[in-house]
Amino acid sequence: MKQIHTAVLERNGSFSEDFATEPYEAGWAEEAIFFVKIDDVEGIDPALTAQVQVSPDGMTWMNEGTPLPAVKQAGGIFTRVRHFGNWLRLTCQVSGTDANFSGTIFLCLKG
Amino acid sequence: MPTASRKYGTTAFGVGLDKFRPLETILSYDDFDLGFHGWTELTTNYQQDTVAIFPGSEFKIDLRPPMLSSATFPILGTHGAMNGTYSLKLATRARAAGAGEGIMPGSFAQCVKRLTWQDLGRVQFEMWFTYKPEADRPGVGENELRAFGVLWDIQDSQHRYFPAVRYLNAADGVMKQKWQFAQARAVSDEEWSGGVATTVSEDLKSAHGPQRGVDPQWYGRRYRDGSTDGFRDVPEGGQKLCYNESFNKINWHYLRFLVDTSTRAYVELQCNDRTFNLRGVQPTLADAYARIWNLLNLALWVEADTNRRCFLFVDSLVISTGPSRARPTRRRGKGR
Repeated sequence: MKQIHTAVLERNGSFSEDFATEPYEAGWAEEAIFFVKIDDVEGIDPALTAQVQVSPDGMTWMNEGTPLPAVKQAGGIFTRVRHFGNWLRLTCQVSGTDANFSGTIFLCLKG
Repeated sequence: MPTASRKYGTTAFGVGLDKFRPLETILSYDDFDLGFHGWTELTTNYQQDTVAIFPGSEFKIDLRPPMLSSATFPILGTHGAMNGTYSLKLATRARAAGAGEGIMPGSFAQCVKRLTWQDLGRVQFEMWFTYKPEADRPGVGENELRAFGVLWDIQDSQHRYFPAVRYLNAADGVMKQKWQFAQARAVSDEEWSGGVATTVSEDLKSAHGPQRGVDPQWYGRRYRDGSTDGFRDVPEGGQKLCYNESFNKINWHYLRFLVDTSTRAYVELQCNDRTFNLRGVQPTLADAYARIWNLLNLALWVEADTNRRCFLFVDSLVISTGPSRARPTRRRGKGR
């Protein structure tokens, strides 16, 4: 039977500027889904975009090539990734005037 | 008295279990090559009428998710674990408040395994572990990890109490390298936890906060020398562990922590070649809480001392129980 694990990378966070989730080791897993659950959005023309990043050492980060669809309102959104080596994170950009996003970021792993 | 390794033999679990010295009954043998085994991030409690934490518990909403780590470092690549590839890794964020200040969210990583007990008596926790700050900058980094620890959270029919030990490694950059045990200083409940509510009452109509002695890893005033109102030095408890010579080399250590729930007392702490006699020492007793009868929780934590991520790696661990050597067991809970 496969292993599965969901880690809460950001819990009830408040995001008003660019940020990245903490480095997470997932070498045992074969597939991953980043879930972003936004509870509240503030500002004018707010947008949250994000890319999956991989790393050989947990410090040097490179775009894996998988983007998260832009978030502009409350709700849930996700992106899938496979063949990522060991380290995973989501790097996020917040745009808009006085923009702020409140929510939670999950990493669901299976392998 | 037969040990569990004699009882089960090495063939049942291979060399994995044989490097432990468990008591008669093994409740859990957690080899992190096989999964998380129920070790999960600790999260704080929520109010009765709203899905909101209790004010004052903000530092407890970011105790960081544990991960299964291959201990992959820069320059070197993958260490793997003591046996196999994976260990349980607790990781802080790259931040810390001063040793004399309150805990900054994210600087303190804690995970927990939740059990209940059947018989009062001896309970023992063993683990093979190592620790390190992140190898992301020059410098050996040994003085940038403040502390790591092991905590029992136990409740019987009358009391909740927290036998816990921690290795105070450094405080504000000054090496300490000593073991401490949890026993609260003579402060009021208000001084201990600030009078904040943290749990819903049995009738669901109110909430109350931690009494003196509860959650000693967090509560109680902290001081610049790394001491707190919750911990006292183990007598002759100084011990220099093998950190190694560089920021990206790890060595695995053995820890064994034994308590007796029939006497509500510490018994013994062992780390590598040192065994510290704690017999007769009692943790601080608080009144029993609602809804956690027969609680037998275990927690692990690591705490950063600077703005450098700090890690605790656990290759494997064993939780075991056995009859008390202090007096007959079976003081069952009654009259709740």
